[in-house]
Amino acid sequence: MKRLVPLIILLITIFGLAYYITPKLPQQIELRPLGEFYLENSYFGDYSAKSPEVVTSILWDYRGLDTLFETSVFFIAIIGSLTLFRLNKKQEEEAKQKTEEFRIGLTLIIKSVTRVIVVMILAVSASIALHGHLTPGGGFQGGSALAIAPLLIIVAYSKYALEENGLDKTMALILRSVGLLGMALVALIPLLSGDFIMQNQPIFPAKLGGQLVSGSLIYYNFFEFLAVGAGFTAVFLLLAIPEKVFKKFLRREANE
Amino acid sequence: MIEIPLLMLLITVIIGLIFSYLAIIEKDLLKAIGFSAIQAIAYAIAFYILMAPDIVLAYVAVAVGIYSALLIFVVSKTERYEVV
Repeated sequence: MKRLVPLIILLITIFGLAYYITPKLPQQIELRPLGEFYLENSYFGDYSAKSPEVVTSILWDYRGLDTLFETSVFFIAIIGSLTLFRLNKKQEEEAKQKTEEFRIGLTLIIKSVTRVIVVMILAVSASIALHGHLTPGGGFQGGSALAIAPLLIIVAYSKYALEENGLDKTMALILRSVGLLGMALVALIPLLSGDFIMQNQPIFPAKLGGQLVSGSLIYYNFFEFLAVGAGFTAVFLLLAIPEKVFKKFLRREANE
Repeated sequence: MIEIPLLMLLITVIIGLIFSYLAIIEKDLLKAIGFSAIQAIAYAIAFYILMAPDIVLAYVAVAVGIYSALLIFVVSKTERYEVV
């Protein structure tokens, strides 16, 4: 009971402030000119990105360079955490050996439910990323949803189940590099014909086979999806190495 | 006149505030991670009411899934109870 007193004081303060401030704020009835510009131009208009989803067209077209640098921040964060967990070749092989306590895993119920849910998460994340130019969503959202699937497998089975089926750290890093490379290529292609970096229309076709793909937006979304999902997976695979194994490596290094 | 979406927004944000407070003062770190996940769900609903579906999709995956999992990994490498 005693520890709820600060909470009640906090709530009363916030309610009081809100009651005091709210009547003094000006009411926003009309759209601001900037918002009106994007709403009018993202699909129709002269500066069109040919995408009905305004947020994605701002992220990857109008303010594309911002997102490119955001991606590079994420890239550096992943590289930093991989450096913290660096292992040499022999240690990496040894970290893949199953330890005794992981032989069984969780119960059958959790395993079967996970098997169904993982497939559903993969489908939902792909739809979030690949429909990012039509409906809310996009590369980062889809990629972080994709990273949940290997995470669930790590929890319900073990990280060894992932590695035995081919998704080890090297594979995740290769997928991530493919994503980053693809993004860089899509950003640089307009330079070949003397246009601006990261230009969308009219270099990339707005429609492919009758389907609206909004030029470069779908490529950016797909490659970001790969890069984010695989980057998170690599970090989780390293975090899931048991502490015991790491301590063994450290003790051996101290003895040598 | 209070509109229903605004009332729902108020309730979800208060739930988020209460659970973030509980997450801060809780000494059992695993429980604290659970409280922070509940706070994240409440804020995700609040973002949805504020008509920001793009944020909801990123926020749910990161704050409920990845962030909680990262913290559980970290707790598994230290101790479960916070000793003052």
